[in-house]
Amino acid sequence: MAKGTVKTIVKRDGRVAIYDEKKIASAVLKALIADGKDDPVVAARIANAVGESLAGLDSEAPPTIEKIQDAVETELMREGYEEAAKKYIIYRANRTRIRESKTSLMKAIDEITNVDARNSDMKRDNANIDGNTSMGSMLQIGTAGAKAYNAAYLLKPEQAAAHREGNIHIHDFDFYALTTTCCQIDIIRLFKGGFSTGHGFLREPQSIASYAALAAIAIQSNQNDQHGGQSIPNFDYAMALGVAKTFKKLYARKLTESYEDVTSLDEQGEFIDSVIAEIKAEKNLFPRLEIDAEALDAAVAEKLVATGKVDAQQAIHLIASARRRATRDTDRQTYQAMEGFVHNLNTMHSRAGAQTPFSSINYGTDTTPEGRMAIRNILLAEDAGLGHGETPIFPIHIFKVKEGVNYNPGDPNYDLFKLSCKVSAKRLFPNYVFLDSPFNLQYYKPGHPETEVATMGCRTRVMGNTYDPTREISYSRGNLSFTSINLPRIALETKGDEKAFYDLLDERMELVAQQLLDRFEIQASKRVYNFPFLMGQGVWLDSDTLGPNDEVREVLKHGTLSIGFIGLAETLTALYGHHHGESDEMEQKGLEIVQHMRDYCDRKSREYQMNFSLLATPAEGLSGRFIRMDRKRFGEIAGVTDKDYYTNSFHVPVWYPIPAFDKIRKEAPFHALTNAGHISYVELDGDTANNVEAFESVVRCMHDAGIGYGSINHPVDRDPVCGYVGVIGDVCPRCGRRDGEALSEEQIAELRKKYPNVPSFVGLE
Amino acid sequence: MSAVQKRSTVGQDVKFERIRRITGYLVGTMDKWNDAKRAEEHDRVKHGMGCGC
Repeated sequence: MAKGTVKTIVKRDGRVAIYDEKKIASAVLKALIADGKDDPVVAARIANAVGESLAGLDSEAPPTIEKIQDAVETELMREGYEEAAKKYIIYRANRTRIRESKTSLMKAIDEITNVDARNSDMKRDNANIDGNTSMGSMLQIGTAGAKAYNAAYLLKPEQAAAHREGNIHIHDFDFYALTTTCCQIDIIRLFKGGFSTGHGFLREPQSIASYAALAAIAIQSNQNDQHGGQSIPNFDYAMALGVAKTFKKLYARKLTESYEDVTSLDEQGEFIDSVIAEIKAEKNLFPRLEIDAEALDAAVAEKLVATGKVDAQQAIHLIASARRRATRDTDRQTYQAMEGFVHNLNTMHSRAGAQTPFSSINYGTDTTPEGRMAIRNILLAEDAGLGHGETPIFPIHIFKVKEGVNYNPGDPNYDLFKLSCKVSAKRLFPNYVFLDSPFNLQYYKPGHPETEVATMGCRTRVMGNTYDPTREISYSRGNLSFTSINLPRIALETKGDEKAFYDLLDERMELVAQQLLDRFEIQASKRVYNFPFLMGQGVWLDSDTLGPNDEVREVLKHGTLSIGFIGLAETLTALYGHHHGESDEMEQKGLEIVQHMRDYCDRKSREYQMNFSLLATPAEGLSGRFIRMDRKRFGEIAGVTDKDYYTNSFHVPVWYPIPAFDKIRKEAPFHALTNAGHISYVELDGDTANNVEAFESVVRCMHDAGIGYGSINHPVDRDPVCGYVGVIGDVCPRCGRRDGEALSEEQIAELRKKYPNVPSFVGLE
Repeated sequence: MSAVQKRSTVGQDVKFERIRRITGYLVGTMDKWNDAKRAEEHDRVKHGMGCGC
């Protein structure tokens, strides 16, 4: 029942084309030849049969390629050419596989699966992921799939185009549909009354060891709900509570032991506990480090003497011993807890892709004896390093500098500030946040640590709150998402025309603001159950007011939507011929550009009653992506596209020779404008870093210049063979070997006699 | 290499660890960083302690 002849076909991309029987005959002939039967007449006959079979199909629509190929296979077999049919089927399957593998997603997965990360720039997009491991590879495959889907279905066409073409960069694009960036975890609040990480309840910690262990767990758990880093804004204040609880227990225990020794009695624990309880009830005093020590000890002495079993002198003596030992043991336990904490954060591969979580801790301003003990010991633990003395990678330590608290001689924590400089000069941490810089100081209320600016280690800063001006605090808040603008490209596109530059900049910012809001829409529609820890355990601000099925929209608004940028230096060079490191005039031009962007963010915040903020983007993979595209499009332009990377945010270029203090002064004014986060680096050579006075003078210069967040880089080298940590040129100063050279066992034994930290090696006879 | 020779050398091919900071994070080897950040690290100059503050 022929319905006529086939006139058109539908190609794979949906286009309609003319039906050409000659093409079918050609394909059939190839199959026959593959079977050793070079016969054009047969091929033509089979092609004809295919045409008739297609015409007889019960359908109005023109046949698809797949249908045609089905018919070819069937006709070949019907005519008895089974082998040729087999060859055709195999050929067709190969073509399909090749076609699918050509799509970029499959290409990406192939690269992920088969290429050594050292040879794949794509696999090194995130240095925290080991792209050569199974978990790391699986994460990267997931990332590739998510990005493909998100670009196809979640972005508006102009957003997808802007991202693809490199006008903007949407960060953490793989997580677009899933979650938010980061959070400052208030662990005092989290620990109070205990919490849960999914299965089983963790009681409120009762010792410094538990406080430290749970702090690591809190970071790990929250990391599973967000794609960015995790930070603790009140690390010293929280650990202080653990120190206090441990001291209380140890005081009672040591007092019991001393009392038992002097009186030769046994089992005096209960009696001592009752003495302490009575004093608490009668005088509201309890065992504490330093504070009220005289009053409490005197009260205890009175009670002990009243038993008639010891005289006044004995009582004073045994109590003093108890307090001394309790203090010493509390300090030891605190050190061990801090050491365990640092080790934990370097070794738990619990984030997707077998990564260690990106962790940061802020401290420095708790002036209580307990807080000071915690700060001193976290610094000492950082100083000691990991098992073989290695410099810890995590957490990022941030020391909060504040006049009157720790900055000047005479300040209660000045000794800890000095210690921090000594440790940082060796271990690169802590970094420094300056609470006295005007844009930070405006929020500060003494006695209210939640008003102290804290930062995520990467530099993210969340403090102001347009959405809720009564809650301008760092605790329990974080960034929601950020998108960066390719600033140099705007300069290149507008060819040095300043007005055109600003007009196009405005256009791009508008696009980004809208995209941030679109992404927020997706995030806002999620429910508390999508964030079992972040929201379910009340870590995020006000999430404890929500039920498991509630939308998180309103509470998310405490977070920031950040517009970022890269390459101010190259932008200025493209527009005016020089960057801001080179002249005051260019510094002014640079400030005008960044001020303009900040003003836009402030306007948007007011318009939407949300927290739009300007970010000096950290830029890992982005630094190369933009410049590669721009060089391709605009050619190699000196000072703009002639390198492999754009300069980070508002930084003076890393290759530009400039004294440390000048770089600091050039960059500081930009900190005030980038309220979503900023950082300035200074590179010191090793010798300066081992001169702690010099190191401290750089920190002080940062403070005076109004820097918000600063960090000092210097070479930190280590010889894994002899354990030396310091500056190594070509030859190790301790053992004298060169890179890759071996030592004899005897040499190692000799070194170990002089230096206790020479590592031991597994498998050595 | 004989077993005796093998036992008596420690640290063959072991390189020095050089900790560097990239986008705020420390790393002991440049191997895991992307090409752009490696190029940037390579270009870094030191900032002298010249003028007073």
